[in-house]
Amino acid sequence: MNDSLEISRRYFLGKCTGVSVGSIAMAAMAREGAFGNEPSPNLGFSGLGLGNLPHFPARAKSVIFLTQSGGPSQIELFDEKPDLRKWAGTELPDSIRKGQRLTTMTAKQKQLIKPAATQFHRSKSGSTVGEWLPYTAAVADELCFIKSMHTDEINHAPAMTKMLTGNQIPGRPSIGSWVSYGLGSTNKNLPDYLVLISKMQRPSDQPLYDHYWGSGFLPSRYQGVKLRNAREPVLYLRDPDGMPRALRREMLDSLASINAQRLKDTGDPEIATRIQQYEMAFRMQSSVPDLTDLSDEPAEIFELYGPDSRRPGSYAANCILARRLVERGVRFVQLFHPDWDHHSRLTSWCTARCRDTDQASAALVTDLKRRGLLDDTLVVWGGEFGRGVAGQGQWDSPEAGRDHHPRCFTMWMAGGGVKAGFSYGKTDDFSYNVAENPVHVRDLHATIMHLMGVDHERFTYRLQGLDFRLTGVEQAGVVKDILA
Amino acid sequence: MKPWAFFIALLFANALPSGAAEPVQFGRDVLPILSDNCLSCHGPDESTRKAGLRLDVREEATRPNKDGISAIVPNRPEASELLGRIVSKDPEEVMPTPKSHKPPLKPNQVELLRRWIAEGAPWGRHWAFEPPRKSALPFEGQNPIDAYVREALSKEGLATSPQAEKHTLLRRVSFDLTGLPPTSQELNAFLSDFAPNAWERAVQRLLASPHFGERMAFWWLDVARYADTDGFQSDSTRSNWPWRDWVTDSFNANTPFDKFTIEQFAGDLLPNPTPEQKIATCFHRNHMANGEGGRDPEESRVDYVIDRVNTTGTALLGLTLGCTQCHNHKFDPITQAEYYSLTAFFNSIAETGAAGSAAAPFYEIRSVHAGAALLSANATVSEWKQSEAEARLSARKPFEEGLPALVEGLDSHFQEWRPIVASALTSTEGTVLLQKSDHSIQATGSNPRQDEYKVLASTLLKRITGLKLEVLPYSGNTKGGLSRGASGEFILTDLKVQVRQSGKAEVRDIAVKTAIADFSADKKANGGYGDIKDTLDDDPRNGWTTKGAPQDVIHTAVFSFAEPLMLESDEEIVVELRQRSTLGDTNIGRFRLFATDQAGETIRSLKPGTLQTLAASGIRSASGLPELLRKQLFEHYLEDHAPYLKVKALLARANEQAVEAKAATGPLKVMVLEEQKEPRDTFVLVRGVWDKHGDKVQPGVPLSIAPWPEQEPRNRLGLAHWIVSRKNPLTARVVVNQLWQLLFGNGLVRTPEDFGLQGERPSHHELLDWLAVEFMESGWDTKHILTLIANSETYRQSSAVSAELLSRDPTNRLLARGSRFRLPSWMLRDAALQASGLLNTSTGGPPTRPYQPAGVWEELFMGRFKYEPSLGSAQYRRTLYTFWRRSIAPTFLFDTAQRRVCEVRSNRTNTPLQALTLLNDETSREASRVLGVRAVMAGADADLRLNWLSEAILGRPLKSDETPLLQRSLKSALAHYKDHPADALKVLQAGQSVLPNAPQQPEVAAYALVASLLFNLDEAMTHE
Repeated sequence: MNDSLEISRRYFLGKCTGVSVGSIAMAAMAREGAFGNEPSPNLGFSGLGLGNLPHFPARAKSVIFLTQSGGPSQIELFDEKPDLRKWAGTELPDSIRKGQRLTTMTAKQKQLIKPAATQFHRSKSGSTVGEWLPYTAAVADELCFIKSMHTDEINHAPAMTKMLTGNQIPGRPSIGSWVSYGLGSTNKNLPDYLVLISKMQRPSDQPLYDHYWGSGFLPSRYQGVKLRNAREPVLYLRDPDGMPRALRREMLDSLASINAQRLKDTGDPEIATRIQQYEMAFRMQSSVPDLTDLSDEPAEIFELYGPDSRRPGSYAANCILARRLVERGVRFVQLFHPDWDHHSRLTSWCTARCRDTDQASAALVTDLKRRGLLDDTLVVWGGEFGRGVAGQGQWDSPEAGRDHHPRCFTMWMAGGGVKAGFSYGKTDDFSYNVAENPVHVRDLHATIMHLMGVDHERFTYRLQGLDFRLTGVEQAGVVKDILA
Repeated sequence: MKPWAFFIALLFANALPSGAAEPVQFGRDVLPILSDNCLSCHGPDESTRKAGLRLDVREEATRPNKDGISAIVPNRPEASELLGRIVSKDPEEVMPTPKSHKPPLKPNQVELLRRWIAEGAPWGRHWAFEPPRKSALPFEGQNPIDAYVREALSKEGLATSPQAEKHTLLRRVSFDLTGLPPTSQELNAFLSDFAPNAWERAVQRLLASPHFGERMAFWWLDVARYADTDGFQSDSTRSNWPWRDWVTDSFNANTPFDKFTIEQFAGDLLPNPTPEQKIATCFHRNHMANGEGGRDPEESRVDYVIDRVNTTGTALLGLTLGCTQCHNHKFDPITQAEYYSLTAFFNSIAETGAAGSAAAPFYEIRSVHAGAALLSANATVSEWKQSEAEARLSARKPFEEGLPALVEGLDSHFQEWRPIVASALTSTEGTVLLQKSDHSIQATGSNPRQDEYKVLASTLLKRITGLKLEVLPYSGNTKGGLSRGASGEFILTDLKVQVRQSGKAEVRDIAVKTAIADFSADKKANGGYGDIKDTLDDDPRNGWTTKGAPQDVIHTAVFSFAEPLMLESDEEIVVELRQRSTLGDTNIGRFRLFATDQAGETIRSLKPGTLQTLAASGIRSASGLPELLRKQLFEHYLEDHAPYLKVKALLARANEQAVEAKAATGPLKVMVLEEQKEPRDTFVLVRGVWDKHGDKVQPGVPLSIAPWPEQEPRNRLGLAHWIVSRKNPLTARVVVNQLWQLLFGNGLVRTPEDFGLQGERPSHHELLDWLAVEFMESGWDTKHILTLIANSETYRQSSAVSAELLSRDPTNRLLARGSRFRLPSWMLRDAALQASGLLNTSTGGPPTRPYQPAGVWEELFMGRFKYEPSLGSAQYRRTLYTFWRRSIAPTFLFDTAQRRVCEVRSNRTNTPLQALTLLNDETSREASRVLGVRAVMAGADADLRLNWLSEAILGRPLKSDETPLLQRSLKSALAHYKDHPADALKVLQAGQSVLPNAPQQPEVAAYALVASLLFNLDEAMTHE
């Protein structure tokens, strides 16, 4: 978009001394159609969002997206298929497989059925959760499972890109950016959209590209800001050694004064924005450390989220941070936990990732509920696709794993206007195809948007003459049956 | 008469007679309205066409349908269904339909359509598809740019602004043409040059500078999505940078742009191609390459072919061809078949779709610039070798001084490894752990298949450098072996070390760097388990076992920490032994843990360390030390001597850098285009899916743009000639528009990537056409066009704006003032280097690594890639040479092209993160620090020093109202740094450049702060 234009408009709408500009300018810009696309003034991160949003009252004010990168196995974790034991080691019938594309990793091997390695826990409301997720099983009556998720992509990067941006090709805005652009934030000192990535020791096979939380064609201030698990949670946040806070303040005062004079001399409203952004930067230097310092959390919180939550950068610690962000009014929080790509040795590998995440994911739901935050916070758990019913490698060997599977997988949601203790959609007896109530990634997006009070069809951004939207041009609909 | 016909008659009853206004022009006035509102359903794309109606072609729009109704009846607005529909109040009838969420047409748009139909609905083409021509200049005797701009302004009752101040002008044009601010000499020479052609000569000088090519190359690298790695999962490094140098050289040589284009598209197909012409074709290999496991390489290959076509569209034709990948274009007259005909030109490259080292075809070449880079890298090694020797020497003294006490303090009971006494022993799955008097820890109770053992201890050592683990045979274990599992073997999958402070919420992870063991089983024979090193990767699918070695002996492993761990008295260490192997039943039965505070041999080997050897020797006085042991003791001392270790690490880095530089002097594989023997068939891809073949197509171009040049072969060479043909209405316009954008921040067409129906119209159509024709007539002379622009009065206007003008033209479309916009972030870095005198002006050669916060690559790739900033002069090279990892662009750049796909539009935002970057990035801190020193050396007077800094950074003296503000900041800073000399010292340590001993550290630190303040002024970062 035309940023200089947008900036001048921001300036007119903001308060600025030194230059007075009449309402004629506003009218002139309105004539030019400058308001067609752009949000109302968004000074830094204190986004106000678009004037016409939400379209209707929102059920969820914030979203916490617990992204399990790599493709968790729905077969072991959620989608119980007892009959698989009967067919163990037999070839997957063609009537089920229907020529489905495989990755080159298993395309040349026979598709022999590998039954789930787990037993299932059945909750009061009838939801099934595999034994590797005992904590999740214990809160299953708070969760809404979508067992009929499906996507079009079979490899990680395109599938994750689609899960987060609606398109498999990098370059579209991520869902968090859309939300931040459309709805803004209620916090003046933090970005609208924050990204937290688990600190892992093992080099991951799937890097988490920054386009996953990129703003695409939306202005770059809507991109997700990654909170690093380092001494410096946001890049360049820390003042250098030898620069005390008071001195920085003093320097910024002079900086602002000289900039204000330049504004008077040149009349360029961009300078007014710049002055405010330097102030915002200064505020972030205290608001971010205040956010990431967990020392004010009581011991029982660490007990609730599990021992790993004491380790900064762990998934569990990030879950606590996610709650703190939501408490501070941040719109979209996205966690990433990598390494769910279990092509081999499911029983040792997948269980390791379950242990990393299970207790904390469940604790987050419990904690939000206790605080009364769950009603207007939507928690979403899931990966970019599921895993196939055929064993990869010798099916009955402990070495065996599972290949990628886009045709069906399970995600769960909690709070924010979705039904609790509910399972939606069914797969066939092989957890291979969706049998009932399919939910495409686009439908998921439409539903999340709906819960936030946004009609995905009306929320568009004009670029190159096209009205882009998160859900793209293909059919997408809100999954009404899961709405509370 | 239909009811709405009457309504229309009524609606326009009071409208002006059509003769009163200028006739409506189809391309300018009508087509944009149709395109925005109608063509997505009634346009060129058949598949989405509704009611069989097509409005972009006259015959179709005026043809009556089966009911005899025509959308457009020329001369008869009241009979034209089109008008009736757009003013209808009936939701079933009105267009655009409410379902499209498009707002109804505005009254002035309706009126335009009505007038156009009343005038006979004359048809025409979209402006960009008509060939550009030079119209008669509105004014003679001036730069044509000024003539057109002034004419447009006079229509608006406006005039150009006065010329900008001289220093502002030189700064502006220096950034625009070289990407650098003027040096103080250049500035002074210009300010004192009062000759009438002083400006023209300055422009000429800049265009002749080798930095001109670098500046232009940065633009072209963004267009070409150039990067030094593949992108995607493997993100392998490429060595395509000789192509980057070819681009720089081409701009410096002012290679005609048509030739530049032809060589990049088809250098290999030219008769007797030169190596440079072959290298040029790397342009079309700069796309991302996907080496993800499990991906079909053919799918990737198809992606690359498509990327080349889309890049061609965006970069040179200003067309969003990508839209046509899945369907006919909704707005522009390009069909899906034509799109795939274009892909046919790129479909027979001798490539497989593989990435990394398999991304043939390559052309091997040696870089003429690599030698200089090697010399510089070797010089850096020499410097650090010397520093290392000096550091060794200066460590002598404290070593000798401490030696007697060390030797005398040892006794025969000295033990470098101290057994760990647990304060608590826990397990996850239920094993009960008990510690015996010999400090061994015994597993008892239940024997789960897997478990984690946790040992908590507050150790006697204040400092820990490593741990030792002994796995002990025990009669209670299976077969008296090492575990209670069926086999008596153990598998340790991972070892984790943490520190916990009492009363604190957080624990810290302690990084373990190395692990060695007395025996490691063969991994392959044991399902991935064996290697002790695998206990450090947090992966339960591998780990350590001694299977194959005797079970009845002690097995030992030693782990060294990445850094010595300093423990507070209230801190506890937690050692976790993870035993999560796939099969399980291999938990350790009995073990013992030790800690040490010794560095060196102790933690790197299983042998006794130096002090242990000394203790065993019985020597108890320093004078009695044999020479060898003394030497060993000195080495042992150095292993733990921080000042020495720092220098040693830097020397190691310098050596690595020299190895890399050496490699860059060898033959380099540059990815190029080359046809394979048997051409591939090309098909329409149904819905753009790579393996869903539709109709077969032949190489061809969208003929609605320009005819195929008859004598040309149907290959890439012919395509290139078509692109730069005089008959192609797009290329010259698109390129001059981008050149304009380089100097004005925005193009004359503000959608540089889209000249199609949905793009913006040019603000100065005749000027754009004049420049396009001039470009072609001059022989595609890039420097000529840039000279014309830079020499225009339009370009030289002041960028200050009155409130009135701002309200009239907020985005400066009319060009009644100079452009004012934030400079690209890469120029800001280069400017800081230039202003501080740190800039290394050498051109070309292998990529360099500017400062970047530690750990950024490591986080993304979980440690697979490490970023080590360049040492020595390589650090100070221009940003053009920065190593570009595709999956994570350099962190100090913002609003930059991502180099994933072709980008031609400049992106400018204004965020707090940018403020933080400019305040705290190490390059700007080092530049500020260096300027602090130079300011102090410039003279004794504070005002003089402040002025000196202003001249260096802003290129002008301070104004009277600025001085007191800077004085105030200076005063506070001075007061602080005088009171806190340690803080001053820290400021002086920014960056790696060595400075002469500055005696006045507080002053330097204070002026460094002022320099940083000046760098962060809006003026410093702005094209004014």
